[in-house]
Amino acid sequence: MLVFAASDKGGTGRSVTSANLAYQRALTGDHVAYVDFDFGSPTAAAVFDVPGAMRGTEERGLHSYLEGEVAEPARIDVWRQTEHPLLRARPNQSGRLVLFPGDAGGGEFAIGEESLQRCIDLLLRLNGEFDVTVVDLSAGRSYAVDMVLAATAHPRMRNVPFRWLVFHRWTRQHVIAASGLVHADHGIIGGGVERGHDKEALEAAIRFVRAAVPDPESPLWSQGSPAQAAWMQACDEALRRLAAEHAIGDSVVLGIVPLEPILQWREQLITEEDVLATQIANKETLEALEEIARRLTDDAHWGRP
Amino acid sequence: MTDAVFRETAAEPRNRSVPLAHLSLELGHLYMEDFEAGPERLRSHFAEVRPWAEAARAAAAARTGGTRARISTCFLIDDYFTRFSTPAEVVPMLLAQAERAGLSVDYLARESGCAVTGKVPVAEAVAGRIVESPPPGSYGLRPPAAQTGWLANGERSPVARAPQAMKRAVEWQPPKETAARRHSVFLDVELWSDDADGHRTWSCPFLAAVWQLARLGLLRNEGEAVLVPQPHTTAGFPDDWDELPSLLRLNDRADPFAAYRTCSVLPTRFLPVEHAVRVILDQIEVDPGALEQVAERSGRERTPVPDSVADRVSYVYYPGL
Amino acid sequence: MAPRESTRTPRAVLACGEIRTCLLPARQALDIRAAAQLLALRADERALTSERPGLYARSSDTLTGVDCPLPSANGARVRAVGTVAARAALTEGRVLQTSARFHLPATGPDRRRPWGEYLVRPGVVEPLGKLPHEAVAQGVLGGGRTGDLDAGLIAEGLLTRLLRHPLLDQRPPFRSRPTRLRWAALPAAPGEGFRLERFTLAEDELRTVRLRVPEDTPAAGLAALCEDLALHDWLLTTVVRMLDGVRLGTGAARDTGAVVRTLRPAVDHLLHLWMPRARVSPELAALWDPLEERPGFTRQWRTLVQRIRDQLTLHAIPTPHQEVEPVP
Repeated sequence: MLVFAASDKGGTGRSVTSANLAYQRALTGDHVAYVDFDFGSPTAAAVFDVPGAMRGTEERGLHSYLEGEVAEPARIDVWRQTEHPLLRARPNQSGRLVLFPGDAGGGEFAIGEESLQRCIDLLLRLNGEFDVTVVDLSAGRSYAVDMVLAATAHPRMRNVPFRWLVFHRWTRQHVIAASGLVHADHGIIGGGVERGHDKEALEAAIRFVRAAVPDPESPLWSQGSPAQAAWMQACDEALRRLAAEHAIGDSVVLGIVPLEPILQWREQLITEEDVLATQIANKETLEALEEIARRLTDDAHWGRP
Repeated sequence: MTDAVFRETAAEPRNRSVPLAHLSLELGHLYMEDFEAGPERLRSHFAEVRPWAEAARAAAAARTGGTRARISTCFLIDDYFTRFSTPAEVVPMLLAQAERAGLSVDYLARESGCAVTGKVPVAEAVAGRIVESPPPGSYGLRPPAAQTGWLANGERSPVARAPQAMKRAVEWQPPKETAARRHSVFLDVELWSDDADGHRTWSCPFLAAVWQLARLGLLRNEGEAVLVPQPHTTAGFPDDWDELPSLLRLNDRADPFAAYRTCSVLPTRFLPVEHAVRVILDQIEVDPGALEQVAERSGRERTPVPDSVADRVSYVYYPGL
Repeated sequence: MAPRESTRTPRAVLACGEIRTCLLPARQALDIRAAAQLLALRADERALTSERPGLYARSSDTLTGVDCPLPSANGARVRAVGTVAARAALTEGRVLQTSARFHLPATGPDRRRPWGEYLVRPGVVEPLGKLPHEAVAQGVLGGGRTGDLDAGLIAEGLLTRLLRHPLLDQRPPFRSRPTRLRWAALPAAPGEGFRLERFTLAEDELRTVRLRVPEDTPAAGLAALCEDLALHDWLLTTVVRMLDGVRLGTGAARDTGAVVRTLRPAVDHLLHLWMPRARVSPELAALWDPLEERPGFTRQWRTLVQRIRDQLTLHAIPTPHQEVEPVP
């Protein structure tokens, strides 16, 4: 299963959330690849805490691979090479978790036919090796989005299942932008159809993840005045209506990640340890991530809305 | 493992040998424009060829060191790029003009036979044997500069590819001949072109390279010889080029068509084409079994051939008419 | 087998290569005709096929030109020019291998020759000057720097080309990982025969093999031996990982379906492939012996096969506590 993580804007928590989903799947025993197609700012190494392993991959990452400069992209075994003390003790029965980093210092680039073929080669091989492959895509209607739409429409990939997660924050602007990324003329669906995708099948494979959503019930806001609480409640309802009007309502939402203070400070993987022992992260956040990770492959949550 | 009790024929390679002369001497090519210029053109062509053909014979005899040199002559007619007239009209006229100059054509070939002979896609097979000469720094990664349908004798100028965002585009650099001595003579050869329907037209130099390999006895298809001469049994010549065998033996007592070396006598205007032929021949991995047969037999006859296939080919250019 | 290595080839003192082994990404194993079609790399040469003792197809050699420094353990930068030969093989229509190899003479000319002279010696890479063969062998096995001659890239390039073939539906029957095996064969001491000096499991996917062989042993035969080693090492690696991924014991007993789903592909696709030495010449086949002695490749394989059969038998029987479980 390929999972593409997209967002219209930066700052939606796309990278950090999708990295956490990859981590959660690996904990359940799946072999997971995390592919950093965020070409403009390849930073996944920070989330997985593997800066040391990144040294020496500057010229061997995904940029170099797609441009034909190297035959195989660098891979980083997260359990083995992370500097995060908790991750290094690979939990028993967990699957492999492998990061495919971009070139450090790489930038956005136009994709030609040969790069597309190489992208297909890579995705097919990962599909043969890993249970779940999470592909983090540059924000917006980017070259990366273009490339994977073309790749998944290619006859060679006809038998490879894929799903899209579109991340957005819970504000007016983000709701409208996320809907635009998917539904606008040259959005994911329109662009996908232009490249040979079946419209309905593609729609059925797209779900939304609302990230950094403040929960009015949360203790975080319990210090606020009743007026503040009522205002938040009203906003939340207005946003729900807006989302529904823009065809990204509750029926196509795979999950909601609550606003998590530690993720506001630092993009990182949230471990059980962070919730239970040091209590720096909220239980609700971890549960939300676990649930979304589970739903990735649960057909009950996918299909035509 | 050939000494084993159990054998499977499909599991073993095989290779047919072909008879070989010392020299294959080409007396010319015929294109439509030559034909349209009338018999006069052919007459003066053969008159120019005559002394050089004799010189080539003398040189071959000198190399065999006393024993009789086996020499066959051949002539190539273009029926690939343009179809003109009929064999019934062209061939007798051609042979008459050659005879008038005191030359005899042992073998007659059609250029389209270098593209496809019978069911064998000869040109496609040869194209599949191209091994590009590696410029220094080639360490096994697929050459990013490879251009399908083209073959160069060195490194092309880097293509101005759209760089990654915020990176600078590479400045222009000259192309470079790999075997250059100080300065380059860079040549980039078009091997074929495809039209909108996907129909492939092989280029003249590429077919000429196939022609040279045929004359050197180095073409095989699944181990079998390709472009085997057919005897001329009928009285005249057909009205359709397709009914003429790709390679026809006109003289029953001729020495074998294929030879250790070749020599072609051509007007100077063929020089660019033949330069391209050399660039191509220098980058073709010839069937190793065929190569071995030639090396073994020429060695046994004490007329060893140069290792490099391109060096087995020679030319005489006479000034244009 | 073929008389590829010409008599004019100077004496080889080092042969090296690298092999990629992976599961063919197709739902059904290819039959022998489809295998020959997949491996028809050229219009004028068919793939060799063989049906005894198992289905096996092998492509003709393709050449890649190289002109670059050789990897070396002592930092010597010896430039070399020539061709690396690569071929592909498919075993039982299921396991795909690509194998690149070259051999090196002890000395070469001081400057590069015309390219056509290299092409008549397929699979030979000539050093410019003298070859420090021990250091280069060590460099090859240890992996060179970027820009050093890399047979692995050539094997990889051929694999990529084959994996793009339209015959493949890209539906592998189970998840697996490709392996790489690098090998180097150094000259044996005068009078000594063939010896397998070392077989190393390096990182997760890399294996290295170091051989000693009498000078002028054809590289194609050595490559065949190493392809055989790589195939069987891949089988072991793959089946071990398959069993690794299964949660056994009482806690997992409820998920009988998962155990069967995970192990069944081994029975369907792998267990009948074990046939060491099948395509190795008699004098090289003996090099398998030390591996059978320790760690005992075939011994481990038999144990794994038995474990898989036991698990499948066990899960074919319904567990007693499920039968007596009260219905809520």
